[in-house]
Amino acid sequence: MNQEHISSAFDRDLEAIQALMVKMGGLVEAAILEGSKAVTTRDVELAKKVHEGDKVIDELEERINEESARTIALRGPVSSDLRVVLAVLKLSASLERIGDYARNLAKRTEVLAELRPVSGPDKALRRMAKEVQRMLKDTLDAYVRRDAELAEAVRQRDEEVDEMYNALFREFLTFMMEDPRNITACMHLHFIAKNVERMGDLVTNMSEQVIYVVTGDMPDDNRPKSDETAYISGET
Amino acid sequence: MNDMRLIERAVDMDDIKISARNVQVYYGDNHAIKDVDVDIQDNTVTAFIGPSGCGKSTFLRCLNRMNDTIDVCRVEGDIHLDGEDINDKQVDPVQLRAKVGMVFQKPNPFPKSIYDNVAYGPKIHGMAANKAELDEIVERALRRGAIWDEVKDRLDAPGTGLSGGQQQRLCIARAVATEPEVLLMDEPCSALDPIATAQVEELIDELRQNYSVVIVTHSMQQAARVSQKTAFFHLGNLVEYGETGSIFTNPEDERTESYITGRIG
Repeated sequence: MNQEHISSAFDRDLEAIQALMVKMGGLVEAAILEGSKAVTTRDVELAKKVHEGDKVIDELEERINEESARTIALRGPVSSDLRVVLAVLKLSASLERIGDYARNLAKRTEVLAELRPVSGPDKALRRMAKEVQRMLKDTLDAYVRRDAELAEAVRQRDEEVDEMYNALFREFLTFMMEDPRNITACMHLHFIAKNVERMGDLVTNMSEQVIYVVTGDMPDDNRPKSDETAYISGET
Repeated sequence: MNDMRLIERAVDMDDIKISARNVQVYYGDNHAIKDVDVDIQDNTVTAFIGPSGCGKSTFLRCLNRMNDTIDVCRVEGDIHLDGEDINDKQVDPVQLRAKVGMVFQKPNPFPKSIYDNVAYGPKIHGMAANKAELDEIVERALRRGAIWDEVKDRLDAPGTGLSGGQQQRLCIARAVATEPEVLLMDEPCSALDPIATAQVEELIDELRQNYSVVIVTHSMQQAARVSQKTAFFHLGNLVEYGETGSIFTNPEDERTESYITGRIG
């Protein structure tokens, strides 16, 4: 709905919370890229930066919560306006979680830097994080442009991230079986891969919220899923 | 989710109290209501919303033939109450209005005692054989109007001496005294403060147990709070009619969306 409200202050309130959410999204995108770069290049300085940056993301979420509560209390939004406020609340909560995962990547960088290098999976990890960041960017673009088709396309892409994670899982198993001295590093790297995979799930939830804002309905649960690691045994 | 609340919200779709088809209203050359079809359910609060001049009050007034009193006003189409045509020549408008009561925007008690305000309707309709029966009817009506406790010790005091909110509840008591089946309310809270408004809204919800209530309101939040069904009127058309929760979360028509979100007046 592009038409303006009769009350222009209401428009400004809604624009403000959405702008905060999009700003938060930009910071989280950067945190994903920098967190994955830090961990794969064992760059402790960059990791610190990501760690510090998460505070700003958390503060933004708190601010969005306050502003949204205020908008609900003072403006009584209904229909599409209500969907905007509800979606911004949920989107910012997902962004905050993704930010936490990125911070976790940064935290593990310091430990990994001390360990015997297992560098094989670095490239795949970076590629996986890059894909999640692109999905997030497209989700935010879909939100801003009210583009349900783009959001649906993002939703379908989570399968690729799941497949990348499956491949990494098998790779870590192989490394650990080859040489038990790799186990500590591989355990950390596995948590990192799992965190990136979780980020992908959260971005998928976000794309569903975008579809809800645009259409008024949540999409059906019919997207493809490919996380098969729950069924993988060590007997590979 | 509280299951009780869900049951309470549920509307019995089969029980139609008033059925209107192809209703047209003209004020002279002005076509004020255009081809309105609507089914109003029993034991349900139905809210009519829409900008000023959209025809919601005009349509409400068709339901008890209040428009008969306006010379230039002409009503066409069929309106059936319990399957009977209310515009049939055999129907006495006074009897119809006893069945379809009305409460107006401004509280308008008669300049008489509280007791007489309520007793007037039952008296002229010969509903009481003696004083004791009339007393009973008055008490029952004042209780239904949720004002009995406040006035029981001063039934002889003038109705006009009550506060605005009390006067409006007195008018509701007066309207229910004749045992109507449908209660029409034309902006019943617009002259009341928020507390009195809340009391009247609570009362409307209770009245739903016994009546079909139709309320015209400028307050969309009030429509959302008290009604189970909402009808949106715009420029004399009934644009959208549906379950109140759906209308306020995801209406089907763009015009409804624009109106309820405050984008068109």
